[in-house]
Parts: sequence; C-alpha cells; structure tokens
Amino acid sequence: MKFYKDHYDVIVIGGALAGLSAALMLADKGKDVLVLERHNLPGGIATSFVRGGIEIEAALHEMMSIGSRDHRLKVGKFFDDMGVDIDWLKVPEAYHAAIPGLEVTLHPGLETFAREVDAAVPGTYDKVLAVLNLCHTVFDSVNELSIHPMSKPQMLLKHEAFVKTAGYSTQEVLDTFDLPQKALDLLAPYWIYVGTGFRELPFTIFSVLMADYIGYGSYIPRKFSHEMSLKMAERAEAMGVQIEYRQHVDKILVRDGTAYGVRTARGDEIYADYVICSAYPNKVYTSMIEPADAVPVKAIKMVNGRRLSLTAFSVILILDKSAEELGIKDYSVFHGDTMDTNACYDELKGLGPYRYITCICHNLANPDATPEGTCSYSITTLPRVDGWKTVSADEYDRVKHEVAKQLIDYMSEYLGVNLLDHVLECVIETPMTVAHYTGMWNGCIYGYAHTMEDHIVARLQTAEEEHFIDHLEFSGAHQISGDGMGPAVTNGRKAAKNVLDTMAKEAKE
Amino acid sequence: MKVKGFLKDVGGASRVTKARLAAFENASPLPVMDDPIGNVAREWHPGKIDLVVTDVRPAGKTATTVRFERPDGKKLPPFYAGQFMVIDFPMGESLISRPYSISSAPYQARLAEHAFVEITVRRSKGDGFICDYINGSVEVGDRFRGMIGCGQFYYEPLRDAKHVVALAGGVGITPFASMAREIAHGTLDFDLTILYGSVSSDDITLKDELDQLKSDKLHIVHVLSGDEPNWNGERGFLTAELIQKYSADDTTYFICGPQVMYRFLRGELAKLNPPQRRVRFEVFGQAKDITAFEGYPQEVKDKVFNLTVVRGIHEDVIPAKATESLVVALERAGIRIETGCRSGECGFCRTKVLAGDVFICPESDGRRAADRDFGYVHACTAYPVSDVKIKIPIE
Ligand SMILES: Cc1cc2nc3c(=O)[nH]c(=O)nc-3n(C[C@H](O)[C@H](O)[C@H](O)COP(=O)(O)OP(=O)(O)OC[C@H]3O[C@@H](n4cnc5c(N)ncnc54)[C@H](O)[C@@H]3O)c2cc1C
Ligand code: FES
Repeated sequence: MKFYKDHYDVIVIGGALAGLSAALMLADKGKDVLVLERHNLPGGIATSFVRGGIEIEAALHEMMSIGSRDHRLKVGKFFDDMGVDIDWLKVPEAYHAAIPGLEVTLHPGLETFAREVDAAVPGTYDKVLAVLNLCHTVFDSVNELSIHPMSKPQMLLKHEAFVKTAGYSTQEVLDTFDLPQKALDLLAPYWIYVGTGFRELPFTIFSVLMADYIGYGSYIPRKFSHEMSLKMAERAEAMGVQIEYRQHVDKILVRDGTAYGVRTARGDEIYADYVICSAYPNKVYTSMIEPADAVPVKAIKMVNGRRLSLTAFSVILILDKSAEELGIKDYSVFHGDTMDTNACYDELKGLGPYRYITCICHNLANPDATPEGTCSYSITTLPRVDGWKTVSADEYDRVKHEVAKQLIDYMSEYLGVNLLDHVLECVIETPMTVAHYTGMWNGCIYGYAHTMEDHIVARLQTAEEEHFIDHLEFSGAHQISGDGMGPAVTNGRKAAKNVLDTMAKEAKE
Repeated sequence: MKVKGFLKDVGGASRVTKARLAAFENASPLPVMDDPIGNVAREWHPGKIDLVVTDVRPAGKTATTVRFERPDGKKLPPFYAGQFMVIDFPMGESLISRPYSISSAPYQARLAEHAFVEITVRRSKGDGFICDYINGSVEVGDRFRGMIGCGQFYYEPLRDAKHVVALAGGVGITPFASMAREIAHGTLDFDLTILYGSVSSDDITLKDELDQLKSDKLHIVHVLSGDEPNWNGERGFLTAELIQKYSADDTTYFICGPQVMYRFLRGELAKLNPPQRRVRFEVFGQAKDITAFEGYPQEVKDKVFNLTVVRGIHEDVIPAKATESLVVALERAGIRIETGCRSGECGFCRTKVLAGDVFICPESDGRRAADRDFGYVHACTAYPVSDVKIKIPIE
C-alpha cells in the first residue's frame, strides 16, 4: 500500500502554527508539501480539549500581531492573505496589574495606556509615553528591516533608535527615563510573554512586545485556538498540502550534507527536496540526523551554548459560578508579589512557590466560552525547565498537585473566594503535559531565552553561519523570532522564505 | 537620541553578535541527550506497550480477572485509580481494541518486581465478542499490546469531596476496585462507600477480594435486585433513598455501570439535587442499539453503505452497516484505527468526513466546536446514514 507520493518539494515536520504557516506559504507559491504531525490534530499547544462536555482552551492567552480588520498587523494580514478566515474577538483590556500597592486596569492604545498609568502614578504621562513611543519606533524598524535589509550606515540614518538601543538590555534603556518605581512596575507585567528578566532581556524584544500588544491590543479566536489551528490546516489542505496525523518522524535523512527526506516511526521513508523541522535543534542534532556524523561539531556547540527558556504550568478550572458572581473582573490579570522581573525570573528556576502568576478568564472576552452560570479560569506560571528537570516519574503527581494547590490558594486569597468550592473541572497542565502532547524538548514552549548573548539582532546576523545542513530549515519557538503564537507564525514563514530563496538561487545556478 | 554615548550606542549590534559567537565558542562540543522532562512524559505515557498474561482467575461466577505484566517484569506506566486501559486483540485479519477499567491498584503497577495491572471482564449473555473471548480463550503466556492510564474517571483531590459514594452496577465495580485497593494500601486518601448493585448474592463480581479490604475508610454495601429470602442486606435498585442514606453533607458521586443504570441513576440523583460538580459518570460505552436513540433515521437501519477510506494517497472502499459505527466497519475490514474510550469522549478516533452523512450518538458527542464546523467526527460514535468518504490517519 502506498500512502505517500514518490517525492515532495518540501516535507514539514510538525503541524502546529509554525509548520502550518510554512506549509501555507509554500503551497501559495505552488509547492508540493507534505506535513507530518505526531498528534491526531493540528496546532500543537494551540489547541483545546473537551472535559465534561465543556471545551477548554489549552494554552492561548492572547494573540499579538493580529490588529483590527482595518489595520491588520503582520500575522493578521498573513491569515487574511492566505484565506484563513478566523473569527477574532478583541481582548477588552491590555491587562489588570495586581502588584504590591497597585490594582490597575490598563487598556491598549499608547496614549490611553500612558494616561491610565499617569492616573495611578501621577506626573508620569510624558515619560511613559516617551518609553512607548521609543518602543514603537524600534518596532517599526524591526518590521521594516525584516522585509528590506539595508547597509549599516543607511540603517543608522533611517533607523537610529533601533540601532542605538540594540546593544542594551531593557533595564539599561528604561533606566535612562528615570521613571518612579511604580510606573516601571506597571510597564513590566508583559515581561513573562518574552520570558527573561529585564537585566538580560534585549530592549529590542521589549519594544516589539510593548508596541505590538499595547499599541494594537490582542485577540483570541472565538472557538479557541483550535479554531485557528484547524482553519490553517483546512486551508492548507484545500491548497493541496497533504497533512498526515499520528506520524512521528524519527530521522531526517542527509546525504552529502543535504537533507533529502525523513523516516517515520512507522518505517516509511519519504523523500523531498527540502525538510522544515519543528523539533528543537537540540533533539535534531543529537538524535534525528541520519547519519549522525553529518552533524558538525559547530551545531552541537551552538545548541549547548544556548539556554532553554520557559515551559508552562497551568491549572485550568471550570467553575460553577459566573465570573461576575466570583468577582473576576478582567480577562487577563498579572499578579506579582514583586515586579522585580529579575527576581521573578530567578524564582522560576525552582518548583515554587511561584509568585508571578497570570490568570485568564475566557468568558470576559468570549461570554459563550462556557455554559451559562459557569466560567473558565486558568492560573498559569511559566517556570524555567531547571526545577522540573529534577522531578521523577514517581514524584510527578505529588509535585504537580502541590504546585496546583499553591496557585489555587494564592488566587483564592486574592479573590476572597475559595475557588476549591466551585470546581466543576480541574485540569493541570505541566511541562510534562507539553512534552507528552507535542514532544517539545523538555516541554519548553519558549525556545531559547532572549538574552544579550542570544539577541535577536545577533540571531539575524549569524543566521547564515548557523545553517549547518543544506535544505534543512527549522521553524518554531526555537527560531529567530522566539516564543509566542504570533512569532510562531513569523518563524514558520521565515523557514518557508528560506526554502523559496534557496530554490530560486539554485534554479539560477 | 542617546542611551549611553554615541560610540557605545552604535556599536550595539556588533557587540551582541560577538557575545553570541563567544558563547558558542566556549560551549561543550559533546552531544547531550538531556530531556528528563520528556522522559517522565514517556514513562507515564509510552503509548501501546507489550504485555504478557501472567494470571487468569475467576472473579465470581460470570467474570474473569486477567493479569498483565511487561515481558521483562519491569514497572508499568503510572495511572490513576479508576482509569482504563485499551487492549488490542488480534482477531483474524483485524486488530480490535476494547477499553477495560483497570481493577488492580496503581501501586501494583509500580512494584519493583512483577509489576502488574489487572482487568476484570464479565461474560456476556451470548452477544459479546471480545468479552467472551476473554472469558474462555485467554491464557497465561498470551501476548497483547495495551495502553495504560486512559480516561478522566478518577478521584481529583482539588475537585472532589472527601466523602465519595460510588454507585456501581455489575462489572462497573472495576474502577472502584482499583480505588479501594489503593485506599487500603494507604496511597489514596478519601472515604469511599461503594453501593454495589448485583442481581444475586452468588454472582457478585470481585466480591471476596473486595470484602477483605473493608475498613473505616472503605465501606462496601451490596445491594441485590433479585429475589432472595435469606438476604439481610440492602435490596432493590440504587434509589435516591438508598443513596441519601449513605451520603454525607458534602459527597461526590462516582457512577459506573451499564447504560440502563445511567439513565435510571440520572433520575434518582436529580431527586437529591447534588451540585453538578459532585456528580461524575464514567463514559457511556459503545451504544448497544443506535437505532433506539432520538433522531436516528429509522429508514436506513437495514442498509449497508459504501465507506470510502482515505489514508494518505491510498483509498479503499469497504461495506459499512448503518447500525455499526465507522470504527466497527473499519475493524471488520481489517483497517486499523486508533481508539481509546469508544464512547465519543477521548477523540483518539478523530476522523474527517469528506463526503456523505453520519448520525452521531447524541449521548456521546465529545467533539470540539471547530471540529464540528469542519466535519470531523469521533468515528466510534458516528454511524453512516449514506455512502460516506472519510480520511483517517495511517497506522
Ligand atoms: C471506559 C470503559 C471501561 C470498561 N471497563 C470494563 C470492565 O472493567 N469490565 C468489562 O467487562 N467491561 C468493561 N467495559 C466494556 C468493554 O469495553 C466492552 O464493551 C465489553 O467487554 C463488551 O465488548 P464485546 O466486544 O464483547 O461486545 P460488544 O462490543 O458488544 O461486541 C459487539 C461489537 O463488536 C462488533 N463486532 C462484532 N463482530 C465483529 C468483528 N468480526 N469485527 C469487528 N467488530 C465486530 C459489533 O458490531 C459490536 O459493535 C468498559 C467500557 C468502557 C467504555
Ligand atoms: S475512541 Fe474515544 S472518542 Fe472514539
């Protein structure tokens, strides 16, 4: 029985957002694409599941880079261009910050945001707006430069702010504004979406984060992130992409330094001119390349020289009262005993107690998310992999329940309601859950940490040299744009673009 | 604009690039397969594993307990008491799967030597297929493949009350047998009262093994529906009145038994009106007679349709009876499809309907909303009502 064609232009390993974005873009250019996904549905962690008859979002808090219908940002525009028609719902606020001495709800729009910070910390409007404007200028430059690269002198002329802040951490740049601590605290909460403390976080990344989320707000698909993943997959299939689920790729086949196909756990050998891989380079270079000696030492040094970023721990509760009855007022709330991002980042190394927590109540952006009289409430922390690496299979359930209990107690105290009295369904997602469903290396959902030694500007500059096997591209959070579902799409498109560029170049030669 | 000074500011990009290259230069050149988090995930969920039968023994007059170990006797995957396992049975050309609740305790799967899991299976009244095969043909030394630790029917301390009343009918006792053993072992902590409905006192599945475990944390109340003059325990069905008698102020009800019992107990529990979060039913199982469900198009019930099955670029056409699920049609034709609960809940059998119509068992439609919009079904609870074309994963 023959399940596959003799040959494809491109095989994409992994049918999550990055892989599907790559497949869409390649299919749009008429390429013959096969997507192999290990799970039985698309999306990776951009998915949902059903418990007790209620559909529950698995991971998405908010999508960045979508924009409104009249002013689409790059990811929203890509979906539109590809004919992936998603029913986007706007998240009403940026976030509610529940931090020492402050309870403030902030809304998107740079001026609105600055005004609301000023209301909480009077006299800060001009400076806060200046920070946000600087972020926006850098953000514009990043977007433009990713499409039109230019020479260094030209860059300095046209993209001065970008060039001059590139070498600094977020903390170094923020320090120059001389803002009161409370205002800084209100600017900090989103840090967890990029996952490094400000001492190490490149200001470039902070800029993109703030300009995108605060400038334009965020969105969620009405039918959970599964709507997004499924619509991408359906559209790709309609464009001729072959997607096969439950196919686990064991090996990437390499000859003369060039990838030419894959072998699945089932034993199928499938051939293609190019392979795009969503698995972590750590896994690929240590166990997936056949023959193993096709992996140069430089590739091993590269993965060993990078630090894994964050994984996820979420307690998702379906509660038997409405958000209103429980006193839950905002879609997205960031809670911190401290807003010192460096201290928070250190704390995430352990197994708790975690004190930087993100809560999402879906019903407040999507009233129909759960049946009437109930609501969905997720309590999330994004630990580093270090602590979880020490947990054995026999300890796992105990640790998981201890951490879950800590998070529930923390939020119960904040809300003044014992959440445990209202639990209809309780789902605990851990780094192991991520590893189980997606196969991601150490359950790490964020790729490599954004640091000054692993800076996006440097990632762009050295991309060529870090390309160790011809016709093999990577896509996923471990690539240039880093973590997040919006960046996943960008990373996937970048991989597809690399393939298309190489195809064009080799056709000329 | 200025951050620290012109030269330092404009040198940023080359500074970070140098830092990157230096970090890689100083890194170890040795490959490290360092994925302990993935390893824990694989230890809990290795997928289907090889199992060998090491014991077969009666569990009452009409049921059999089968013990499985790994061929090398090593630890089995951890699971929660109450969960089921899925076993593949080679039947001629086909590989047919069935879910069975694990009747042994989680700690027994983690013993250092001869770790095991057990299932307890009831003989049918003549219409069973796999259950009668197990009650007669399975022998020590037989090998199967199985997946351990499926389903949501287990005690969750963050959700459930400390006092649990289990309502068990017939072989529905099995998940509670696992809980009872784990409680007796001291590794699961709640008060469990099992109201166990059987027909006659001489045919109670697992009676002797369970009665031995009774303690102040574990009560087993046998309730007989048959006519037995000498019985001085509880009689009749599991009525609201009886359930009330054994309930505490805050009680979680776990219910497992035959489909008719579910319908009856929904009514009885409604009379007690416990909060929704305190009532947990095990999945429904495969519908015994799909034509009995509301909305089933009776006019097709005797038909056999053509089912076109797409796997990759390959297509087959097989017959599919209107009264059997797509999964059964595939299994009869020897086409492998992965299944778990066979009750519409777990989604293992997620299938795309490319053309044609199916009837979905209304009791067990566990699909995602977007899946419904795009014609995905759970094939174990989807019945053809026309010629149908589906796409399923290659196994
Ligand atoms: C979560 C769960 C836990 C369970 N736990 C237990 C337990 O602990 N103990 C227990 O005894 N039972 C348990 N069951 C029930 C068990 O899974 C089976 O349903 C039961 O044993 C009956 O299976 P059977 O094959 O004998 O009968 P049926 O499933 O009724 O067999 C007939 C079915 O097989 C199909 N069929 C007939 N011939 C063929 C053929 N040649 N090829 C393919 N298909 C064919 C028929 O169309 C029909 O659908 C559980 C069920 C669930 C859902
Ligand atoms: S096998 Fe569980 S939904 Fe079909």
